[in-house]
Amino acid sequence: MERAVAAAAVLVAVSILGLGFYLAMESRFAFDRKFGFGFRVAAQTGDTAPLDPVGMDPNASLLASNLEGAEGVDEKEDGIFAPTLEELSGVSGTATGTLLVDDPKNFKGTLFRDDWRLNKSAGEGTTMLFCAYATPEYKERAIRIAWEPDASFDPKLSPHKLTLRLVRAPDGVTLDPISVDLSTNPKGEIKVPTWIAKSDDQRANGYLFALEAEPQTNNFFATLGAFFRTSWDPTLPYPRFGLLPLLLGTLLITLIGLAIAVPLGAGTSVWLSEVASPKVREILKPVIELLASVPTVVLGYFGLMLVAPAMVGVFGSALRMESGRNLLTAGIMMGVLILPTIISVAEDALRSMPNPLRDGAAALGMTKSEEISKVLLPAARTGLVAAIMLGFARAIGETMIVWILSGGTATMPQGRLSDIGQPTRGIPDTIGIEMGNVEFEMPHYGHLFLLGLILFLFTIAINMLGHYYGRRRQWQH
Amino acid sequence: MAALGLDDANLLERDLKRQRSSQLFSVRLLICALISIGVVIGIIGTILVKGVPAINWEFLSHAPAEGMSAGGIWPMIRGSILLMAGTLLITPAVGILGGIWLAEYAGNGRLPQVVRACISTLAATPSIIYGLFGLAIFVLKWKLGTSLVAGWLTLSLMSIPVVMLTTERAIRSVPPTFLEGAVSLGLSKWQALRRAVLPSAVPGIITGLVLAAGRAVGEAPPILLTAGLYFSTEKLTLDFDTLSKPVANLPYHLAEGYRQGGVIPEKIIWGTCLTLMMFVLLINLGAIIVRSRQRAKQRW
Repeated sequence: MERAVAAAAVLVAVSILGLGFYLAMESRFAFDRKFGFGFRVAAQTGDTAPLDPVGMDPNASLLASNLEGAEGVDEKEDGIFAPTLEELSGVSGTATGTLLVDDPKNFKGTLFRDDWRLNKSAGEGTTMLFCAYATPEYKERAIRIAWEPDASFDPKLSPHKLTLRLVRAPDGVTLDPISVDLSTNPKGEIKVPTWIAKSDDQRANGYLFALEAEPQTNNFFATLGAFFRTSWDPTLPYPRFGLLPLLLGTLLITLIGLAIAVPLGAGTSVWLSEVASPKVREILKPVIELLASVPTVVLGYFGLMLVAPAMVGVFGSALRMESGRNLLTAGIMMGVLILPTIISVAEDALRSMPNPLRDGAAALGMTKSEEISKVLLPAARTGLVAAIMLGFARAIGETMIVWILSGGTATMPQGRLSDIGQPTRGIPDTIGIEMGNVEFEMPHYGHLFLLGLILFLFTIAINMLGHYYGRRRQWQH
Repeated sequence: MAALGLDDANLLERDLKRQRSSQLFSVRLLICALISIGVVIGIIGTILVKGVPAINWEFLSHAPAEGMSAGGIWPMIRGSILLMAGTLLITPAVGILGGIWLAEYAGNGRLPQVVRACISTLAATPSIIYGLFGLAIFVLKWKLGTSLVAGWLTLSLMSIPVVMLTTERAIRSVPPTFLEGAVSLGLSKWQALRRAVLPSAVPGIITGLVLAAGRAVGEAPPILLTAGLYFSTEKLTLDFDTLSKPVANLPYHLAEGYRQGGVIPEKIIWGTCLTLMMFVLLINLGAIIVRSRQRAKQRW
């Protein structure tokens, strides 16, 4: 039987290690992340106003206006190559680039169709080519090369250094080298002199631009760097896994909860412990503790159906609330959730203060309020801190209240008061909501485990703090 | 003399001030207490008042009908009972034995201290973390799938640290003289524990178990990731198939009902909330009764 006892202990020890280990293990999938980058590059007529969004000249007087000749060039195998209009303009309106060879300067061979969109791990670079020329019908003196990022693609957040470079000017055109840093100039245009391809053969010799993606870091650091950013939106074409809005959401909700529950809980626990008669205390304390056992999903629904509409009614116009599901409502219900925990632990701490403290204070002629605020509260300080920390630990991990009441949009607070009337989102509820429709063992899944790991680290930190504080208290006494 | 008289007046005035501020302080405390108690009674009372009209025998004993807008919630109640029963099967074996180890065998060395710190960390770990762990290990790695068994294991894992800590506390609250006396009579340590110490600690241990079970029933996040099913109209069959299938249960039903948005009519939601709340409150009430009985019977 003693063996069984030891075995149970070992099992628990193993599960402790296992918990941390597997949270870390599963978050490795986050580091399989690929980083997309996408640009539209287009050649446009030099004189018309730039097209917005960047697209090809719709009249097609520029570039392969001799459509018939250019069509089907891909299939020809005699080495004549030129992009078709569809290839250059893209049927969907996106410019077409061409993924190519190692050495673009001496590039010969067949062009491959490709988008200027790629998903690469942060450590891999790539070059995409863009060919531009005019047909004899084109009368203007310049060709405009315009570029802009894809919707939702932010070159500043890319772990690649993205450059648009002129690889080769056509024969007979002298041009200063062009090299555009796309992270500082994500949108722009340049003009180059018109160069006309008079025959199919010449098309291959037009302007050749390259979009070069140079790796700046390896995938691990890039993923980690992208994790500590300010935008969380995994559904975008270029997904964003920035932890900060979620972390701030969780912390702010916790803070509002504590701001409500700590004063209220402290007052109530002092009243229960020092003012109320033992009989009243015996009845009221279990009643308050009853609230601690109400399932949080029920508290969430209570908030949704009664507190949220009331919030809109009271603060709706002052805080410019669009719905009752926001930071403030979630924070208030969080306060309700941790109130009984704080009362219960703080009351225990106050009750455990020895009576001589109270008698001594009375003997010094202190009033009740002086006795409490000058003797009992300082003496019970560690217990009160423990109560607050327990409330804190409970609140940062709370899932359902935040899920139901926060409104579910991950937004960075702007530092204004009206932020507390805006929808938000926390870490635990994000895990709960998104794990339901995620592909297992893929980067998104890994990032949710990373979130879990962060939450777990917070829990450990709070507990260690509590431990340290408790130990210091032992030394003092 | 005059100066002294002035001082007296000042003292008196200051005394009055102190008395008044003390009274004000007491009033403030009372207001805090009234608000807290008002919140508790307000919330529990509102749910009672709003939920009771929805509750009748049919509501508790039938499956949902007409796309959630009618019928009852029996499959969800059944699932919650199933989840709790399994958790109560697995948790005590490890939790109580572990608690005994902590209280009587671990001692106060450095390693046991670390283990104890780990366990109290685990007891305070958010339930969604257990959900993640259960998903990674039980659902995916052990290939149990989203299933009742995975839910049992996850909930048990979540309950074990709590049960260990309460067991340890229950055993430590038994005076050491019990153990010492039994050992001095020639019993081995384990025999002494079993015959002299554990019987006195049983109520405390049971209280811990019941509280853990109540938490397991009410928590949605772990179930969300490991064992949940929105609703079920199937008849329950008690065979191995049931173990490997997800199970409908009350907290998940409410969570998923929120996600689907507006499918379940308000009346039924209040009824479901009330059922879940009463489920957990009754379990906890059991724990409170056990505890107060133990206090009444305590012989030391």
